[in-house]
Amino acid sequence: MEERNNTTTPESAGKTCCCGWGAFVVGLVVALILGWWVLPNLMKETKKQPIAFSHVEHVQNQGMTCDQCHFVRADGTFSGAPTTEQCAECHFTILGKDPEEARFVREYVQTGREIKTEWLIYQKQPDNVFFSHALHFGPLAELQTPADIAKFCSKCHLNVAETSVPPLYRENRLSGYSENTMLMWGCERCHAEHMALGNTNASNACFTCHK
Amino acid sequence: MDRRGFLKFAAGGTVGLVASPIIWNTLYDAVYWTQNWGWIPRLKKGASEYLPTVSKLCPSGTGFLVRTVAGTPVRTLSDRNNPVSHGSMTALAAAEAELRVSPARLKKPLRRSPDGAYVAISWAEAEKLLKEHMQAAGSSVAAFSGDPTTSINEVLSAMLYQRGSADFYLMPDEEQPAAAAWTAMGGQGRLGYDIEHSDCVLAVGAPILESWGVVAANRSVFNRTHPAGGTPAQTFVYASPVQNNTAAGADLWLPIKPGTEMALLLGIAHLLIKAGKSGFAAGLPNFAGFAAAYTPEKVTAITGVPADRLEAAVKALTGAKKPLVIAGSALGSGGAAGPVMAAIAVNMLLGSVGREGGLVDMPFPSPVVNGAAEYRHLLTRSLVRYTQSVAAGKTSAPKMLIVYAANPVYALPSDAGVRETLKKAGFSVAVASFMSETCEACDLVLPAALGMEAFDDVLTPYGSGLTTYALARPVAKPFAEARSAGELFIALAQEVGVDLGVKDMPELLYKRAYALGAPFRAMLESGTVHTAVEKGPVSPLFYNWEAIKAAASAKAADAPLQIAPVVVLGMGTAQTAIPPFATKVVTEYQLAGKLSVAQMNAATAARLKVKDGDLLKITAANKVETTVRAAVFEGVMTDTVSLTAGLGHTAFDQFSKGKGANVVTLTSISREPGTNLPVWGNADVNAARA
Repeated sequence: MEERNNTTTPESAGKTCCCGWGAFVVGLVVALILGWWVLPNLMKETKKQPIAFSHVEHVQNQGMTCDQCHFVRADGTFSGAPTTEQCAECHFTILGKDPEEARFVREYVQTGREIKTEWLIYQKQPDNVFFSHALHFGPLAELQTPADIAKFCSKCHLNVAETSVPPLYRENRLSGYSENTMLMWGCERCHAEHMALGNTNASNACFTCHK
Repeated sequence: MDRRGFLKFAAGGTVGLVASPIIWNTLYDAVYWTQNWGWIPRLKKGASEYLPTVSKLCPSGTGFLVRTVAGTPVRTLSDRNNPVSHGSMTALAAAEAELRVSPARLKKPLRRSPDGAYVAISWAEAEKLLKEHMQAAGSSVAAFSGDPTTSINEVLSAMLYQRGSADFYLMPDEEQPAAAAWTAMGGQGRLGYDIEHSDCVLAVGAPILESWGVVAANRSVFNRTHPAGGTPAQTFVYASPVQNNTAAGADLWLPIKPGTEMALLLGIAHLLIKAGKSGFAAGLPNFAGFAAAYTPEKVTAITGVPADRLEAAVKALTGAKKPLVIAGSALGSGGAAGPVMAAIAVNMLLGSVGREGGLVDMPFPSPVVNGAAEYRHLLTRSLVRYTQSVAAGKTSAPKMLIVYAANPVYALPSDAGVRETLKKAGFSVAVASFMSETCEACDLVLPAALGMEAFDDVLTPYGSGLTTYALARPVAKPFAEARSAGELFIALAQEVGVDLGVKDMPELLYKRAYALGAPFRAMLESGTVHTAVEKGPVSPLFYNWEAIKAAASAKAADAPLQIAPVVVLGMGTAQTAIPPFATKVVTEYQLAGKLSVAQMNAATAARLKVKDGDLLKITAANKVETTVRAAVFEGVMTDTVSLTAGLGHTAFDQFSKGKGANVVTLTSISREPGTNLPVWGNADVNAARA
């Protein structure tokens, strides 16, 4: 009687794969390159600020203090970036030799164009978060130098106080928000861990930030 | 690469992706992306300002603070520094910042095309149309205004008067019957009420804590005189068929059958005379003789007010040093003069005329625009008489009809003839802020700026005991293409050659302030409100018992069921409809789905054979039928059904259109004996389970 082969095992069974673990490694490396470098860059658009503003020039060379431009208004709201009108209190005419300053005076001050609406906010938050700068400024009163203040502010913000040119702004193409926009865990560094910055007594209840 | 190799490659890729930040970063970005959805509101960021001004949507002209952020109004708040409201505010004024951007807000001038649809046109075209029709109409022009406190009325009336037309009318309100009553009793000035300094207030029918008079000021007085947990410094007695918001605040509530206010007041007068209160004036003996027929037993039989409560009310009045009696209507329009005459007589008996905490005889304002109508004259002219006459063909229809800040199509009963007048008018123009029922019946609709967007004013609303004058200041830009109605009418007057004596609204307001001795600059720059206590001589009043007797002879209700409307300012006015911001305060006892809720007590429900939640079909005497949902509430008089006013709109937006029934449609107009005033408000109806 003819012997019948009832097995379903292919003839190649038992042979070593042509790629071995090499295919796994190639896939891993390709994915890591894509995940760490290619896709993040593809998903973000790099933008420049409308004016190459120098904090170094204003703070270190001209002796300005932070709160001359960034201050809490009488009603408790925070001024954020200064307006063209505020800048024009000094730059009503061209003061120095910096071509960027001359461009600012010509294109903004003399035309009334508003710099504040064009300035890219590195940490702009969505409106579902209620954030009060005034409530977070408690320790500021004890800080004296711009460097100390910058160190305090950079707990959340980019430290721009020692830059001559603003950092590049990287905007996510999907959401339209900056890559520096804080997520909730950033807030919870203090709100969930009260002793992270000394005892802040910050509540972590939902309605503290989400009204 | 074979299948196994591919799987290994994919596995390596998956591990690589998981080990990279791309997946997590994409998830984070998706979280932010969800905040870009169009329906999520966007915050306006910038400097906050709190600017004092007054509401032109609230009938009482409530003073408030408009909070603006970067120039955009975001909220209205009460103003503690306001000398009239003292930090109180009405529900309607609280919703004004949101009403500014309501879906029903008119954005562009609209003209009705031949096929009946509206098409947007430019302001230049609209102004051209206005001028052409105004010139063509000659003296055949009429105008209605729904804002009795604005100086814009002088511009409109002057424009008509100087062109030979006297057909300028104010929308019916509380003051017109009150003025007729005051005049009938010998009053020569304007009737006012010093509620603030009274130690006992009896309000009959007038919901003074909700919609009657200067509501915010009334509430402020109530708050100050009724400290939480303390002894009230003012006794507040209120008579109404429904235990509404005003009744909820009363120290003593007198449940009364609808339309029997006159009998209650005459009964009180009788008991006061018996108690020795007899403020002397001509006609007292005759009045006392007439009132003597209103014994407590008779009054209880007519009104349904229990005798002990009637006596308690009289005791409160006789025991007070500065009592004050107020009469008014629940609906705020269509009220009769009779109850007000009776209330004046009771005040005269109590010596509460011309003294602190009593009735005030205030001067009428003089016009500051050339040829404008006097306010006292406007109070005697009835819009309803005019529209009924036009509808009946007894008066020729105007070639041009202007309706300003009014919605008579919705606010007046169907037999007022408003729709017929608008149809017969050669060219009808609505100047309004919201797309109302009246706008939908006009040929041209023009978007008007709100009080917070343009110059306007509020001059002494009815119900005040002081002369008050406040400016509505433009604290925000007009919404879309809305324009100041005042500037529009002034420009139109100039175009057709009318000499007003003022070139723009600021000049008009300056002249008004100057005439009153008000500090215009401070009012303009910081929102100061001018107030003046009137200390002039009081008119020589007399007990016009014949007029009271005639008014008391009005036919009593004979239907098995009466409708008692309840006005709630949170439900808006005829001009605003329900503010989107206020929909959350519309309760299940006012509106259930798309049906109005008819509240009635258990005895009425048993008679009608309905229970909570049943459908009820109401048929009015004018054959109008409506289906409502029944709700049992013991705070309603027997054989009375309470319906909330302000529902049943057929225009505006999704927040108001098709919601409930318009209680005004159930009412019919009749004439008050003696004064011949058109009256409505209480409806005789039949009802059966649907």
